[in-house]
Amino acid sequence: MAESGDAAVHFAVTIIGKDSPGIVAGAAEVLFRLGCNIEDSSSTMLGGEFAMILIVSHKKPFSKAQLLEEFKVFCEAMQLSVFVRILSKGEIRFEMPSGEICMVSVYGSDQPGIVYRVTKELAARKINISDMNTKLIGTPEEPLYVLMLEAVLPEGIDVEDVSRLLEKLKKELKVEIGVRSVTPVSL
Amino acid sequence: MPARTILIYPHLGLKEVCAPITSIEDGVRSLIQDLIDTMHAGPGSVGVAAPQIGTVRRVCVVDVSKSKLGKDNNHGLLVMINPEIIRREGASVMREGCMSVPDYTGDVERSVEITLRFQDENGEVREIESSGFEAVAIQHEIDHLDGLLFLDRITSLKTGLFRRKNYK
Repeated sequence: MAESGDAAVHFAVTIIGKDSPGIVAGAAEVLFRLGCNIEDSSSTMLGGEFAMILIVSHKKPFSKAQLLEEFKVFCEAMQLSVFVRILSKGEIRFEMPSGEICMVSVYGSDQPGIVYRVTKELAARKINISDMNTKLIGTPEEPLYVLMLEAVLPEGIDVEDVSRLLEKLKKELKVEIGVRSVTPVSL
Repeated sequence: MPARTILIYPHLGLKEVCAPITSIEDGVRSLIQDLIDTMHAGPGSVGVAAPQIGTVRRVCVVDVSKSKLGKDNNHGLLVMINPEIIRREGASVMREGCMSVPDYTGDVERSVEITLRFQDENGEVREIESSGFEAVAIQHEIDHLDGLLFLDRITSLKTGLFRRKNYK
């Protein structure tokens, strides 16, 4: 890995478009050619779209325009949208929130507001979501909604508290809600 | 004996298959003491394997008795020389982290119950049944003796609980 920290400039890069083989390899090739480091990234298929979110860095001097310019040809050829944002120093130096990690699983008949109602309860108690995915499954006649999220619990809130907190929503929305600890064990 | 520094991957010893111990001589006894001291020095550490402190020999220690998950079901301090799992039952997933791979965790499937054969610090062959968190810790440490890290065992991405919808 090349130099990081003060000597480097960091970008958040989002790439999304119709899924096809070669998107990751193509994006990675552009970054490699430019001498960018992929520091963190997460990519997945959403519907028929493939979405990549990356934090990349490059030794200074390097500009957002240079990065976008290089992506242009590749993105046009593969019909992808690309978005780039420069990260501030404060954004680069972050600390992972520490605390118990819980997974919340919600599933039931599709209806408006499942994501909103669940996450509103969490946000109101300063529970930080670190990962979330949702999916509409089932059949057109009986659509089923699945939401999975991981959240970091602030001090003073435990898994049982979250479970109790979501209990009334479970009845109201007639969905299944499960809460369990997934705090890593250190070995 | 001092606590030793935990080696961090890509230190090559962490990917080696460790050599069996043939006799419990002074070197092995001091290695065991170092493993115990290193385990006690690590915050919340419940186990250390010899390759993690730079000795590629088949010895590891586990003690989950002071941990929240293991305090009600454990064998106290286990010193395991040439450990072998001779029976496995069940499977469950736990999110593991490892002192040799800092800042990363992953969901790993392990047997729920194991029967373990090993020699203790006096060279006595022992057989024990272990389950729960202690069994997970033992399996993780024995993996180190075979040059395996939890990274070699991650079976799913973070939230791979549901199979992806087939859009075709």
